Amino acid sequence: MHEGCQNPATCPMGRVLSRRPGWGAVPECNTGNPATTGKGTKTNVPSLRGDPRRRRSPLVHVAVGAVGVVLQVLTSGLMMGFVYALVAVGLSIIWGVMDVINFAHGEFLMVSMYSAFWLYTLLRLDPLFSWPIEMAIVFALGYLTYKVIIRRVVDAPGLAALLATFGLSLVLRNLAQFLWTPNYRFLNETLVTDKRLILGPVVLGMPQIVAAIGSVVMTILVFYFVQRTRMGRAIQATSLDKDAAKLMGIDTEKVYAFTFGLGGACVGVAGALLSSFFPVHPESGALYSLLAFVIVALGGFGNIKGALQAGVIIGVAEALGGFYLGTQFKYAVVFLIYLLVMQVRPSGLFGW
Amino acid sequence: MNESPWKDRKEPAGEPTRRLTHGALERTGSDGQALRPAQPVRRRARAPELWLLAVSAVVAVLPLAVNNVNFHHVLIMFLIFASLGEAWNIITGLAGQTSFGHAAFFGIGAYAAAVAYFRHGISPWIGMAAGAVIATAVSAVVSYPVFRLKGHYFAIATLAVAEIIFQLFVSWSYVEGATGISIPVAAEGLATFQFHTSKLPYCYITLAAFVGTVLVFRRVEESRLGYYLRAIKGSEEAAMAMGINPARYKLYAMMISAFITSIFGSIYAQYILYIDPFMVFALAISMKIVLLTVLGGLGSVWGPVLGAAILIPLSEYTRILLGGTGKGIDLIVFGALIVVVACFQPQGIVGLMRSHGRRRAERGVSGDARRDATAVA
Amino acid sequence: MKKRCVWVVIGVVLATLLLLGGAAFPLGKSAALAAPQVVKIGAIFPLTGPAAATGVKLKYAVEVAQEIINGAHPEIAIPLAKDAGLPGLGGAKVEFVFADHQANPEVAKSEAERLIQNEKVVALIGCYHSSCTKPASQVAERYGIPFVAGSSSSAALTERGLKWFTRIAPNDDMETKFFFDYLKFLNQKYNAGIKRVGVVFIDNEYGVHAAEMVQKWIETYKKDGFELVALVKYPTTVSNVDTEVQKVKAARLDAIFHASYIGDMTLFVKKYKELNVVPKAVLSYCGGFQDPQFVINLGKDAEYFAGSNATTPALFAKMDVVKKINDLYKAKSGVDIDGPTIEDFSSAMIIADAINRAGSTDPVKVLDVLKTATFDAPYFVSGKVKFDAKGQNEYSASVMVQVLGGKYEAVWPEEFKTAEAVPAFPAWSAR
Repeated sequence: MHEGCQNPATCPMGRVLSRRPGWGAVPECNTGNPATTGKGTKTNVPSLRGDPRRRRSPLVHVAVGAVGVVLQVLTSGLMMGFVYALVAVGLSIIWGVMDVINFAHGEFLMVSMYSAFWLYTLLRLDPLFSWPIEMAIVFALGYLTYKVIIRRVVDAPGLAALLATFGLSLVLRNLAQFLWTPNYRFLNETLVTDKRLILGPVVLGMPQIVAAIGSVVMTILVFYFVQRTRMGRAIQATSLDKDAAKLMGIDTEKVYAFTFGLGGACVGVAGALLSSFFPVHPESGALYSLLAFVIVALGGFGNIKGALQAGVIIGVAEALGGFYLGTQFKYAVVFLIYLLVMQVRPSGLFGW
Repeated sequence: MNESPWKDRKEPAGEPTRRLTHGALERTGSDGQALRPAQPVRRRARAPELWLLAVSAVVAVLPLAVNNVNFHHVLIMFLIFASLGEAWNIITGLAGQTSFGHAAFFGIGAYAAAVAYFRHGISPWIGMAAGAVIATAVSAVVSYPVFRLKGHYFAIATLAVAEIIFQLFVSWSYVEGATGISIPVAAEGLATFQFHTSKLPYCYITLAAFVGTVLVFRRVEESRLGYYLRAIKGSEEAAMAMGINPARYKLYAMMISAFITSIFGSIYAQYILYIDPFMVFALAISMKIVLLTVLGGLGSVWGPVLGAAILIPLSEYTRILLGGTGKGIDLIVFGALIVVVACFQPQGIVGLMRSHGRRRAERGVSGDARRDATAVA
Repeated sequence: MKKRCVWVVIGVVLATLLLLGGAAFPLGKSAALAAPQVVKIGAIFPLTGPAAATGVKLKYAVEVAQEIINGAHPEIAIPLAKDAGLPGLGGAKVEFVFADHQANPEVAKSEAERLIQNEKVVALIGCYHSSCTKPASQVAERYGIPFVAGSSSSAALTERGLKWFTRIAPNDDMETKFFFDYLKFLNQKYNAGIKRVGVVFIDNEYGVHAAEMVQKWIETYKKDGFELVALVKYPTTVSNVDTEVQKVKAARLDAIFHASYIGDMTLFVKKYKELNVVPKAVLSYCGGFQDPQFVINLGKDAEYFAGSNATTPALFAKMDVVKKINDLYKAKSGVDIDGPTIEDFSSAMIIADAINRAGSTDPVKVLDVLKTATFDAPYFVSGKVKFDAKGQNEYSASVMVQVLGGKYEAVWPEEFKTAEAVPAFPAWSAR
């Protein structure tokens, strides 16, 4: 596939590369291989040794290659961003409606991933179809969390809710280790595994595509649920003013519990989608929840659209920042973007 | 403002709110001082100092009475984290600005002491001083953009700052990056700040620093700055209307807090004698500080002390007793206890003690809140 | 009503605390008094936290060692197996006291102190993470008791001039040399044409150190035609490795040296496949690749990946003793024994052997044996363990293993070969 560059001595990029061993960031010589363009999902990329006929002049070569790489990085970032967004939407709803930071959010995600894993391992139920079950499981988990724990602290002063959810996250994480051992599990034979979509220079993994599409669909569904349905309006009313909502006859307890469940349902779906390409283990939720905090704040608390857009921004920033500055800085770039954006919009991109 | 139903809720006037930055915190810990400033403050003006004397006397005698290295370790950890909580309490308990990023200052302090000796052979005491100055400067520089943000936006921003600083240290070869620094073993003594045969010197140095920290907190709490900070916590707009410049006083609070935090970072580094970015800049450190202070009681001088006195031994001893099983039982127990305390005593231990002490006088705001919280029990 | 509830809760918390605090102290005292014929050895591993998966397996391995030492296992031909207990100490039993360091150096240090002071252990083993082994072995140094590290591989550990520290595993310095020699072997024997080498490593002490070693050794191996063209570092927690693999792809590597843990390694393999990265060799430092979960998780995608390993199930047929150890181990853990695990198993056996030969738990005598004796270790391909002046095991011979047909086959050195090495990855589509 790098036919022009097989010999580093003839490839200008190759020489740059070998002169600076520390620089992995030099753009690839050529990913825009015409042979692989638009051939659908089959893996038909020729092996390492290329065909000399497809050699191009070095200049074109570098340009096409660079654009291809950037496109590839962009699209991967974009797809990750959609998944981040869905995780963040769940957090954002809870945060926006009852002003509770759910520190156990990542653990909800982990529970969902384990559910998907076990449903597949024990019942051969593909995550592609089992997601409603995961959604229901984590909805129930969220609902129960509210009924048992959060309702005792939701009106308490200070950071009691934070304390409670942090404790819960410890319990869930270690309970998972207790029950299922700390082994890294991986679903390697799902329906989407190893399928790919090749669009010109860009190669997209099917698990990621499915996860991205699923996340967007779920996010939109949640958005319309909150905007259009009776329950959704009750949630909005409660988030605006709990006491006024109560006076209007809204059962705010029920709304709160439902909201917590809904937040859980979002990560439930996200977990099912992630389980086809991300290893499952007791700590797998931790990083996602950290990113979700930033995304929620970037989008504005309780703002579903904001979370979606912020998720995309973070996903792309992570990918591009990682590519140009060095991959070890990719999360630093994410946090930096947050700080910079907040200078211009102190209440999030879409807050007022 | 407020077109979107999803963002800020309007709080009904007069009703105590759950907001972090508004009235909520004042009901805990410092316990209504903002509402009734003159009388209670005067009454207990010297009491905390007396208590401090008593507590430090007990802590000073304990390591002599129980000659057990592990107990000394728990004691040192307790003192370090109680003091960190005290420092965090200045910015969060008094000024109402929740910081999730104190690990950054802690790490800077730890690295300053370690790097001074490791790279340049300079006494860690000088490193400690330099670290405190650097941490203060960093807090000032960082706070300027961050203080524009309110409430949770601020909290997440502090988290972001800490994560960025962490990333920089991981990739910075001058401080040995991810490899971490093993502080070279030197002759034991106060000058080198290394003690190998006994932990007692560490106990007493930390105790002295702890007493100093509590006194600083008391000083801030009682001073004009303390009143300003509580006013800012109550309502930034109202404080501004009274002629207080919130940005300036929040900055002062942050700088004091960072200064103290950094000093304990240095003590920690000298105590462990090995540091890497993953241990000193960890989110876990920031969270531990937050947890123990909230557990003890936010905004009160004894909150962090009580919180640390419960949390640190609890985490150490559950791990010692159950950690060897390799099944995570210790952390399940630990987490469950945190949940239980949060659910049944949301105001922290201090709130509980105080509400008992003044049950009759306190039938007001916090009584209602507690009734709400425990009515289901 | 509400008051009572609150007090009950607080009461429970305080009672628990007192119980725990109270229990912790007598525990140390009574145990020290109770059974003098029990030799206690501390074992500190990451039993919770991100590396818990490995830590728990190491614990099983050490438990197997304890079983072999304390029980009579004449069928296993290794020292101390034949009779129950330590013959040199009149049949005294060995007890390994486990502690959890949670991957936190601070905890490792305090646990080391606790084990020495409260549990009265006479030696320490551990800690898997090099970052935890550092402070824990400093503690051992201070108290003057031997520390035998099993699988911690940072070369820095044995460069500190510690008197009481020894280490079984080959360090990353030796591993890197081993990797280059293997590549040379591939080039010579199979004409593999490997030139462009890159390192993909995690941004912590383990990964960074491995990368430094590659930068050091490439100077020596330049004359053999190798060049180092990419260093790809990634954060310790990653949700995706798209960007990292883009860089690897851009560098068109013939050989990739991987310093990764199991979770990130899995992500990398999937992404190599997705983006069709086809190197000729992927060699992993002791880490995620060696975990049998790697093959279970990835199935046929795990094929052709290689790495250094102290043992492999494929060697069981050749080495009966490993098979017998593995039988005991598998009964506990459900999986076959792997490299790091047998290294920590070895650390437990060696320290017990040293105490046995010294005929006493006196640390000075034990250290003397450790530093001078040559130990039989038939479960290693080298068959022996001997520590040099710095405490490094001179016989740290690993084998190069490659996943072939779903098994870790030994492919190099040739005398231990269980299968022929495959010198280049076939195209992903051709698997």
